[in-house]
Amino acid sequence: MAPDAAQAANIRLTPKEEAVLAGGEGPVLQKVMRTVVQYGEALGAERLVDIIGDGHLVIAYAIPGIAPSLEMLEELVAAGLRTKYPFTLDPRPPLDYDNWALDPRQVAVLDGAYRDQARYEDLLLQLGARDADAYTCRPFLEEVGNTPKSGDILAWSESACVVYANSVLGARTNRNGAIMDLLCNIAGKAPLSGLLEDGARRATWRIDVKTADLPLPQLLGAAIGRRVLADVPLVGGLDRFLSADLDAPTRDYLSEMGAACATAGAVGLFHVEGVTPEAVAQGRDVLAADHRAYVIDDDVLADLVASYPVLWRDKDARPEKCYLGCPHISLEQIDWWARSLSAALRARRQARIQVPTTLCAAPQTLARLAAAGGARRDLEAAGVMLSAGCPMQLFDNDLAAGSAIITNSTKLRTYTNARFFPDRRIVEILVGGEI
Amino acid sequence: MLLTFTGRPVLAGNVTGVAVVSHGGFNTYASFFASIHEPSGVAICADSGNADLYGRDLAGKVICLPSSTGSTSGGAVWQRLIEMGNAPRALLFSQAIDSLAAGGLIVADLWAGKRIVVVDRLGDAFLETVAHGDEIRIRDDGEVVIRRTVAPEVRAASHRRGPGP
Repeated sequence: MAPDAAQAANIRLTPKEEAVLAGGEGPVLQKVMRTVVQYGEALGAERLVDIIGDGHLVIAYAIPGIAPSLEMLEELVAAGLRTKYPFTLDPRPPLDYDNWALDPRQVAVLDGAYRDQARYEDLLLQLGARDADAYTCRPFLEEVGNTPKSGDILAWSESACVVYANSVLGARTNRNGAIMDLLCNIAGKAPLSGLLEDGARRATWRIDVKTADLPLPQLLGAAIGRRVLADVPLVGGLDRFLSADLDAPTRDYLSEMGAACATAGAVGLFHVEGVTPEAVAQGRDVLAADHRAYVIDDDVLADLVASYPVLWRDKDARPEKCYLGCPHISLEQIDWWARSLSAALRARRQARIQVPTTLCAAPQTLARLAAAGGARRDLEAAGVMLSAGCPMQLFDNDLAAGSAIITNSTKLRTYTNARFFPDRRIVEILVGGEI
Repeated sequence: MLLTFTGRPVLAGNVTGVAVVSHGGFNTYASFFASIHEPSGVAICADSGNADLYGRDLAGKVICLPSSTGSTSGGAVWQRLIEMGNAPRALLFSQAIDSLAAGGLIVADLWAGKRIVVVDRLGDAFLETVAHGDEIRIRDDGEVVIRRTVAPEVRAASHRRGPGP
């Protein structure tokens, strides 16, 4: 096999890193370090930097192809390796079947697909998972507590978490893929490249939002991601609606928008004029001189929705299921659903919604919700099921193909046959039972 | 017709194959999530948002793309495709390789033991030139030769598979 030109690149390693790469700390850590070094060379990094802070990894699923194989984790554990800092993980697969109204065939398929899940999670604990409940795609919620500080160097994965950590929290992480995320955190090193460096954090797009009202974050994010792909946008026109003190509604909005723009494109960092920390601190300097410009108005967003194909077998079907909370939603967002559904049901003198609906949030958020009472009672009375799982994992088998599922998540829509509707339309559909 | 472009070999190798072309960002996870469970010998692109590739078989092909997009779960896809025998033969990036693709492909290379050849920085003109069905020869120094024997429109029509899963 010919040597890679990239391997001749000039990445400078410390004596300690060289020693690990030479096998001084065993063959498995040597292979981990070789993987991270080659990653750095491909990204044009001059050197590696130390990770400082807890990790968040996308590899929550015992399914090879989405996550590492058991054999690979066992090899790492057997070598005594462990991440330097603890890590949180993406949500668990939806194995809490009662909360998803699954039919027995789906249960059988999931049982088979995830037969190794318990063993897999045990290996993750040995490799540094924070605890047995560290499974959510909103780790930076206060109740979950994996909240990086501004300037922290990280090697996170989960595109929705990467973009939030960079954009809203001011931490620094590239969009690391599954498996490389774990290996970087075991090595304790990330290549100094991309979003870890000042230069790549400047915006190369100026997006002007000229909608009449605050646009749906799921749609705005998708429109931005589709246009800028992997670039960094500065979004203007949202400071009319959002606050620079990053209050709870602003954080929720930016979480939804970030997940959407990371899915529709590969956005790892955005700035919002007058709102996000680097945009506030740097003002116009956050925008590169040779940036491109794009205007998003209501027509752009309408065209975007119109471009989404309907992937249901029967395009006129009554919706069979609804999934909310991709990414996981906060207590405040759950409260909105509880109030909106209760009001719509009261208006129709109806007790329960007509579409089986699962709302997803972090285990810690659901625990707080249970303690608080009101919203949880309303949701349960309306017939909404609650889960800390991830709906996406229901779709990687043939049983879900073509079924009539609705969601408010443009991320879930991208990866499944679920059909997107805005929040308020979903309230109407759930109560009325039809589109 | 022969056209030559030169990029940077990220995972070098000498291979030939048939091109499939994504003019927009290639969403790795959306494209392959249906192809990583049971060995089937094919990898039908399941990304309904990719008008260029949706429904096409990507197994054994040379995927030409600007960069990869989407969920970071896409990082683990390559290793699994290699193990199941339905991986593409090569990836040709017009831009500098993105971190998601670089990480996933390097992990697959070092931990699955079989190479998907990768060349990046081939330039916008490469992606504007290459078409579905072109025969591609890749050299380990990063040289990429496009050989077109059939008009791209005709080739694209006859090559197209039905709607995806």
